Amino acid sequence: MAQEMVATLPGKVSQVKIKVGAKVEEDEEALIIEAMKMETPIFIPCNGTVKKVFVREGDEVDEGAVLAIIAGT
Amino acid sequence: MRPYFKKMTAFGHELKKGRIKSSQGNLKKLKDAESKIQIEVEQVKMAGLPEEKINARGQMTVWQRLEYLLDPGTWCPLHTLYNPENNEEGTTNVIDGIGKIAGKWAVVIGFDNKVLAGAWLPGQSENILRGTDLAKRLNIPLVWLVHCSGAKLPEQEKFYANRRGAGTPLFRHAELEQLGIPVLAGIYGTNPAGGGYHGISPAILFAHKDCNIAVGGAGIVSGMAPKGEFNLDTAEEIIEKAGQFKAKPPGTVKTHYDETGFFRYVFETETDVLDGLKDYMKDIPSFHPKFYRVAQPKEPGFLSQDLYHLLPMEPKKVYDFDEVLARLVDSSEHMEFRPDYGPEIYTGLCKIDGFLTACIGNRQGYLGKDYPEYADYAGMGGKVYRQGLIKMNEFVTLCGRDRIPIIWLQDTTGVDVGDDAEKAELLGLAMSLIYSIQQTDNPMMLLMLRKGTASSHYFMGGPTANRHNAFTIGTAASEIYVMHGETAAVATYSRRLVKEKEAGRPLEPIIDSMNRLAREYHENSRPLFCAQNGLIDEIVPLSDLRKYLVAFVGAAYQNPKSICPHHQMILPRIIKG
Repeated sequence: MAQEMVATLPGKVSQVKIKVGAKVEEDEEALIIEAMKMETPIFIPCNGTVKKVFVREGDEVDEGAVLAIIAGT
Repeated sequence: MRPYFKKMTAFGHELKKGRIKSSQGNLKKLKDAESKIQIEVEQVKMAGLPEEKINARGQMTVWQRLEYLLDPGTWCPLHTLYNPENNEEGTTNVIDGIGKIAGKWAVVIGFDNKVLAGAWLPGQSENILRGTDLAKRLNIPLVWLVHCSGAKLPEQEKFYANRRGAGTPLFRHAELEQLGIPVLAGIYGTNPAGGGYHGISPAILFAHKDCNIAVGGAGIVSGMAPKGEFNLDTAEEIIEKAGQFKAKPPGTVKTHYDETGFFRYVFETETDVLDGLKDYMKDIPSFHPKFYRVAQPKEPGFLSQDLYHLLPMEPKKVYDFDEVLARLVDSSEHMEFRPDYGPEIYTGLCKIDGFLTACIGNRQGYLGKDYPEYADYAGMGGKVYRQGLIKMNEFVTLCGRDRIPIIWLQDTTGVDVGDDAEKAELLGLAMSLIYSIQQTDNPMMLLMLRKGTASSHYFMGGPTANRHNAFTIGTAASEIYVMHGETAAVATYSRRLVKEKEAGRPLEPIIDSMNRLAREYHENSRPLFCAQNGLIDEIVPLSDLRKYLVAFVGAAYQNPKSICPHHQMILPRIIKG
C-alpha cells in the first residue's frame, strides 16, 4: 500500500536524500525542511520503495504538503 | 502512594532500523568528538611525574588512592578539564567528583601529587569551592586526599589572595563543619603552609606515618630574612639552612599525633589511611534508600546507546526530546505535568534509581501556526514562550513544596523576542522563574544536552543559579553562548556596514571582522572551552549520562535537610487530577 510522506511544517526543502526507485526503511531520514533557523528531518513512513518525489532542494512547501509517495512492502 | 509511582505512564519508542541506518553519521560524529575529549582527559591524568616514579617513592598517586577509596563503578569525576587560568600543567591540580565510599555518597577532592607534589595552582581554589558548594548543596560529606606542597610560588599573585583565593576553601570547610557536614581528610606527604592549612581544616584527620602538616616549610624558613639581593654568601647560607630543615621537617606525626594530637589516627601504610576513611564513612549519617524510594530501581526501557542516534550533533537539527528522556529514566516511565500547555517545555515526574525526580527540558521542533497564542507567527521548540514560562514557574514551585530534586535538560535557543513577546510579559515571567527557583530550596542539576543560549540558559537551572545547581554536565554536542556567532556579528557590525557603504568605503574589512567574530563565538562555545572555563563541570559521554543522574539523585536523597512525606505530596495529585 502506498503512503504519502507529508511536510510537518512550512519551510524550504534544504536536503532531499531519497530517489525514485530506492528501497527505504521506516523512520529513515528522507529530507530536511529548513524553517525558523532550524532543520527539521522528515522520516520515511513505512518500509518500501520510493514511488514519487514531488520536491527538489530549494522548494518552499506548506505544512501538510505531500513530499513523496512510498510504496509499502 | 504506590499506585502513583510503582507503574507510571510508559513513553518513548524502540528505534527502528531505518533510523539507526540513517543516523550512523551522527553516531560517528558524536563518538569522534567524545574520543577527542577523552584524549584531553587522559592528558590530565598523565600530567606531572609518571605513576612508576611516584610508586618508586613508596607513594600512591591520587588516581590510585581514588581507585582504592571509591566503591567500584560509582565515581563521577567533575572538573577534570577545568583549567580557567590555562596553567602550563594542564590542570588546577585537584581531582574531584562525586562517588560512593563504603556505600555512602561523598564529594571527594584530592591533590594531584604527581604535579609539583600537589601544589596550589591558579584556578584551583575556584575548583575546590565548586566541590565544597556541592557538598553543601547535597548535604553529603566532603572527603579530602591531602597531599599539598603549598603555593606554586612563581605564580602566587594569581591565586594567593582575593575573595575566592586559595584561603577561601578553609573558610568553606569551617562553614561545612558549622552546618554539620563532615569533612574528613586522609593526609599524605609534605604539607607546608597552604598544604598545612588544607591538612588541619577538615574535621577528622587520618594521617599517613610519613606525612607532615606545618605553618611553614623548609623553603619558607630559609628565606625568612630578606637582605635586598641574593649573592654567593646568601646562597651558601640558604643551602645550609635548607639542609637542616630537610633533615628535620616541621609538623611530623611525632609532633601532631604525639604532642598536639591534631591527627586523630596515624596509619602505617597508604591503603590503611584509605581503609580508615572507609571505616568512618560507614557510620556517616544517611538514610537507607528505602526511606525515600518510591519504587524499585529499574534501568530505562531502551538502550543508552540509542542516544547517539537521537541527539543530533548538528546544532540546528530538530529531534524528539521525549525519546532522549526515555533513555535516561527508570523503566522509561513518567507522569507529565500539564502536557497540553506550553508545548515547548517538558515538565514531569520520573524515577531515577527508584527515587522520585522532577525533569524539565526543552522540546524541539515546530509548534504549529497557532502557537504562541499571543503572536501571528509560529513557534519553534528550543525557544521559550509565555506558556512554557508559566508552566515551569508552577512546576518548580510545586517541586519545592514537595521537596523533589530537579534535573534540568537544556537545549535552548533563548526566549521569544519582539513587541508581542514583551506584551505577553516574557521578561517578567522569565524573572519570575528565577524567583521561583531561588525560593525552591531543592538540589538541582543541569544536563546541557546541546545549546545553552541567551537568558534561558540562566532561568532553566543553569549554573548561574549557583545556590541551587549542584553541578552541570555537558555532552560532546554542548555549546554555550549568549547568542549564535553570526547573530552576534550582525548585531555588532550592521550599523557599521551601513556607514561604510554610505561613505563609499570597501566593506571587506568589516566582513572580515564579522567572520572573525563568528569564528571566535564558535571556538569559545565548544564543549572543551566550556569545560576548561567552568561553564560546565564535566563533559560526559552520552552512554554515561544516567550514571551522573543516579549519583545526583542518590546523593540528594542520602541525608536531605527537609522532606515531604510521599502521601503528603500535592504535585502527583495535581498531575492525576
